[in-house]
Amino acid sequence: MPPEPANPGDEAPEEAQAEPDQHEPGRSEPEQSPNASAREPRALLTVERATKVYGRIVACDAVSLAVDAGEIRGLLGQNGAGKSTLMKMVSGVVRPDGGRVLLDGSQLPPGDPIAALEAGIGMVHQHFSLVRALTVWENVALGERGRIRSAEAIDRVVEIGERYGLPIDPRARVEDLSPAQRQRVEIIKCLRQDPRLIILDEPTSVLTSQESRVLFDVLREMVNRRGCAVVLISHRLEEILRATDRVTVLRDGRAISTIATGTATAASLANEMLGREASLEDEGAAIGLVAVQERRDPGGTHEGPAEPADRAAASAAPSDAEEAVALQVENLSARGPDGRRLLEGLSLRVGRGEILGVAGVEGNGQDALVELLSGLLAPEAGRVMVSGREIPLGRPDPHSTIGVIPSDRRESGSVLDMTVAENLVLNQLDRVMRRGVIIPRLVRRRARQLVRQFDITAASMDAPMWSLSGGNQQRVVLARELSRNPAVLLAAQPTQGLDVGAIEDMWARLSNVARDGTAVLLISTELDEILALADRIDVIHRGTIVGSMDSAAVDHERLGLMMGGQAA
Amino acid sequence: MIQDITIILDSASRLAAPLLFVALGEMVAERAGTLNISVEAMMLGSAFGGALGSSVTGSPVLGLLIGIAVGLVVAVVQALLSHRFTINQFVVGLALNILVLGSTSFLLASIDMIPLQFGTWSIPVLSEIPLVGQALFEQKPPFFLLYALIPLIWWVLWRSRWGLEIRAAGEDPDSSTITGIPVNRRRRQAIYLCGALAGLGGAYLSVGVIGAFTPNMTAGRGFIAIAAVIFGGWTIRGTVLGCLLFAWADALRLALPAIGVTITPQVLISAPYLLALLAMLLFARGKRQPAALGRTFAPGKA
Repeated sequence: MPPEPANPGDEAPEEAQAEPDQHEPGRSEPEQSPNASAREPRALLTVERATKVYGRIVACDAVSLAVDAGEIRGLLGQNGAGKSTLMKMVSGVVRPDGGRVLLDGSQLPPGDPIAALEAGIGMVHQHFSLVRALTVWENVALGERGRIRSAEAIDRVVEIGERYGLPIDPRARVEDLSPAQRQRVEIIKCLRQDPRLIILDEPTSVLTSQESRVLFDVLREMVNRRGCAVVLISHRLEEILRATDRVTVLRDGRAISTIATGTATAASLANEMLGREASLEDEGAAIGLVAVQERRDPGGTHEGPAEPADRAAASAAPSDAEEAVALQVENLSARGPDGRRLLEGLSLRVGRGEILGVAGVEGNGQDALVELLSGLLAPEAGRVMVSGREIPLGRPDPHSTIGVIPSDRRESGSVLDMTVAENLVLNQLDRVMRRGVIIPRLVRRRARQLVRQFDITAASMDAPMWSLSGGNQQRVVLARELSRNPAVLLAAQPTQGLDVGAIEDMWARLSNVARDGTAVLLISTELDEILALADRIDVIHRGTIVGSMDSAAVDHERLGLMMGGQAA
Repeated sequence: MIQDITIILDSASRLAAPLLFVALGEMVAERAGTLNISVEAMMLGSAFGGALGSSVTGSPVLGLLIGIAVGLVVAVVQALLSHRFTINQFVVGLALNILVLGSTSFLLASIDMIPLQFGTWSIPVLSEIPLVGQALFEQKPPFFLLYALIPLIWWVLWRSRWGLEIRAAGEDPDSSTITGIPVNRRRRQAIYLCGALAGLGGAYLSVGVIGAFTPNMTAGRGFIAIAAVIFGGWTIRGTVLGCLLFAWADALRLALPAIGVTITPQVLISAPYLLALLAMLLFARGKRQPAALGRTFAPGKA
């Protein structure tokens, strides 16, 4: 496929609302390029100068894009690059402030999801569009029109599932399904409408690598068999390289370039994605993500460039961890409020200065383990010892010796509507109070201290938490948790949703935490993350640890099998 | 003894009918995500409208229809304020309840009316069945609507596309919107249906059961209907059972003095409400409510 010329040429700043940011006013000469459909007669989807402005942020700045039938197009960019916004404009969920979307040459009404659906655009959303309390077939039927006949709807789900290798029980309730199964439902729901264009927004964020591979096979099958087009949104270089025909890189709300995937390398894409102004550290991080992939190759050396420099030092200790066990979890069993078994005799131990990675597919008890160690869930059996002393469970302990970075920094990790300073001192109010009254001066002083110490970038101490970038929000959480000098730091999905630069930063911080002698329990569904950080790896499956290995001698195949519950 | 039971069951049926109309409507509204506390206002307003309508037109049927219209008017106000202008639904409901209570009492004092009452229909043969015959088959005409309405509401909620969309809107408005369901429109429609049914229930209370209108004559029956929906776990069967339970308790209370049991009247009057509280305590826990129940939905924050 011929590489499409880089797009910036036909970008001119939007006249109306897009203007506030003053993007390159010099380029506004009438370069109204021959529009994309003329250049690419076979283009199925044409986006012309789509623009979306949120307040003072230009999420999409006159982005143009042409996608052919029979193509899998990658849409690559860091978080906030405008990938999702662009595709939401295509699918009608977001109304553009400027520009237009054409499918097969005819313009779609802006901001009308139903029209986009009927025109043949299906979107598989990052955060699923399924109603949890309904069954699979009901969810699939929701996206249709006309009368409902349950028997037919059930048959159709089964039929589509068989045709594309997406087996699912149509009568199951969505809330009882695993994330991978839910995504299967999402794809069936999308396919059910016979879309000509399928958009997938970060589809693999909830999948294991095996499941991702299956998904990409299904996508290829769909493109070959039906001649439709697929747009795959991702910030993972590896999967863009593996699954797409061409890739369009977005940066700061603009389309930077479109190249044939065959001619791209991970390093070149990383450069495009991060931009020339990106720091050396960021580039290293981006390449580092790739290095993880390289390490999978047999015979690949273990020390990829992504390794945090101090990693070797940290991993020197674990053999004699016995006498320095900081966290010991013994035989924990727990049930959810609905009586479902969450944990089943789970045991693990983490030594001082050690990073234990708990790997596993989402929904295998990780959340329960985090809730238990945070005091939000009472166990049926078992106990938890920190530095040899049993700790009370089942209620939050303000003097807990376990610092927790919850997996959802926006929901449970921080209070988004409170200020940075307030968030920072939330767990140490006694330090900023005098006779039961909170002294704002002390709050600010303490917060300033932490902001400096943890290198947090915020407009001001009094800026609301939501105004911070994801990486800085997570730094606030980390700072708050570490400032009480916990013996154990529990980090659950600490880099979920962060961009490459922020991921590398968080990784380096976590290894530093361990080097300073804190035991780190890292719970993550990102195998790359665990491989990059952990000294030892425990695999969690169905609420218990099914296997353990030293990260210096990782057998990827065995690890994958254990995560799938197929080997002990 | 058998006669006592027959009488109690009969009176329970009469008390249950208005509750059932209201609770069925409320259940649809709650399934769509609105905890519609203005059912009390809908019910009281339509009880007044029914009484006044029958008095003016000289026809209890027209009175009933006017009652339904009043219920719909309250529903339109509730729906527009809470699901178009996204004002907190409870604030709207509270305001409506107080407004209707005040205005009906005021209007009653300034209007002379002679409300009419439906005659009783008796289904031949069936009404002869011992114990339950009279309770089920010898009632005021609107009562018999229930036999069609209960399966109809079930079918609409669980078999029709509209019902599926209603349930989706009450469970997960965000996903529903992405799927192309107009969430707030569905919620408004559910409230309209609730208003019509609550209107039917309220008017039935005045022109069917009592044949008069007195200030605050619903006395919280709208809230009892809400309790019945919660007690019933948002299912048809449970809601109907809840209504019957509350009605039986009410009937028993009315019958006790006649049978010769004497209990302080104040305790008796509060019995249905105490029962509602107790039933909630015992049965409403752990029931799965529509996930987005009571939450205002403002789309476009994607």
